[in-house]
Amino acid sequence: MRLLLLLSLVALATGCGATVRGSPLSNRPPDDNVRGVFLSTGTAPRPYRTVGFAQVTGYGVTVAGFSDVGEAGLDGTIRGTLSQVASRMGGDGVINIEFIDENPPTEVERVTDLSNTLSSAASGRGEVKTRNRSVVVTGEVIQFLSAP
Amino acid sequence: MAGRLVLLLGVVAALGGCTTVDVARAPDTGRGRDVFVTTSDLPGPYKSLGVVQATRRGVLLFGFADPAGTDLQADLDEQLLPQIRMMGGDGVINARFQQTQYSLGTRILFAILFFAPLPSEVTITGEVVKLDSGAQPPGSGASATAPAR
Amino acid sequence: MRLLLALSLAALTGCTVIHTAAVPSDRGGQDVFLSAGDIPEPYESLGMVQATRSGVLLFGFIDVVGTDIQAGLAEVLIPQVREMGGDGAINVRFRQTQYLPVQQVLGAIFFFAPLPSSVTVTAEVVKLRRGSAASPEQPPVAPPVAAR
Repeated sequence: MRLLLLLSLVALATGCGATVRGSPLSNRPPDDNVRGVFLSTGTAPRPYRTVGFAQVTGYGVTVAGFSDVGEAGLDGTIRGTLSQVASRMGGDGVINIEFIDENPPTEVERVTDLSNTLSSAASGRGEVKTRNRSVVVTGEVIQFLSAP
Repeated sequence: MAGRLVLLLGVVAALGGCTTVDVARAPDTGRGRDVFVTTSDLPGPYKSLGVVQATRRGVLLFGFADPAGTDLQADLDEQLLPQIRMMGGDGVINARFQQTQYSLGTRILFAILFFAPLPSEVTITGEVVKLDSGAQPPGSGASATAPAR
Repeated sequence: MRLLLALSLAALTGCTVIHTAAVPSDRGGQDVFLSAGDIPEPYESLGMVQATRSGVLLFGFIDVVGTDIQAGLAEVLIPQVREMGGDGAINVRFRQTQYLPVQQVLGAIFFFAPLPSSVTVTAEVVKLRRGSAASPEQPPVAPPVAAR
């Protein structure tokens, strides 16, 4: 009970926000020594032709408020799957990337899920609180027409 | 009684309109904004520090009280801007945003039905960048668009 | 037989709904301009704005309060830009509730349950820095904003 109260106070103090981060995308201009698919939320740095468009959705779950399992991460979907999709389509890059993590858990929700899981374990019920997650990413797959 | 209540709500809704507007401005330090937020691209040169999504989720108590700060301005000031500063960025480009918006009539209805709070959420996404020397900040007139064929 | 006729009529109407909006886009200073993209002229950002107008379709077709894109842009966004002291809005995004004709016909038949309808517009409000050396030649009035 005291643990639950303490966790609740911590949750209230930290607020009801959730910030999700992903790793850096391509710089502008792109670094010469960096190979791989060009990724940007903006436009292309030099002339290109559009190969097509792609939408990737990664699904996963947050277990007990703190363990993220599955593929509902910005890095996995953008730098992982979206890059692979672009390469398979014959593209050199993906521009105009848009993304949304549809259900990021807030600090309050993480603490609540953890406390519920711990309470359940302590009472012998053994229920683990899970939260469904998904990340949707879209982008325009391009092929550069000139070398950098 | 119920009929009068419905009539009252209808009148209030008609007078109050069915349009909800929310605005968010990035802080201005007077010498220029310390961190910029733009829905546009930038020509650069810049270094990408990563993509970011700032979400705030809560409920509206009595239809109007927003203790969690689930509006655009609060998400910008209390969630996104601190994150940009923490990452060492100069600003966010290609920002996209969406916020739950309720009409005045809905808010009044849930002020009456106070035991059922309204869910509310705001999300801002974008790419955090650090400008290299010679980079133009947003709004300077330089275009980021490369020709497509 | 009547069911077959009804289904045939519904099929003939197709599965695509189109809405368009015509708004001024002259950046010569005569009126507030709107652009779904960026602009080449120098500007000062006045802030981001999101506006939603909600209402119902009476008898499936009558849009009492104006919840289409035209109303969302002309009656909500443009006045908001003026109120903020802006010259226009860039990166305008919009979404409107759209019903198939068959859904609207059902709404007319079941007139006691009006169809909910809303339009949401987001944009960045800007003020042009006029008289700047970086201002290039302006194009003539841009084509109307169109959406499906």
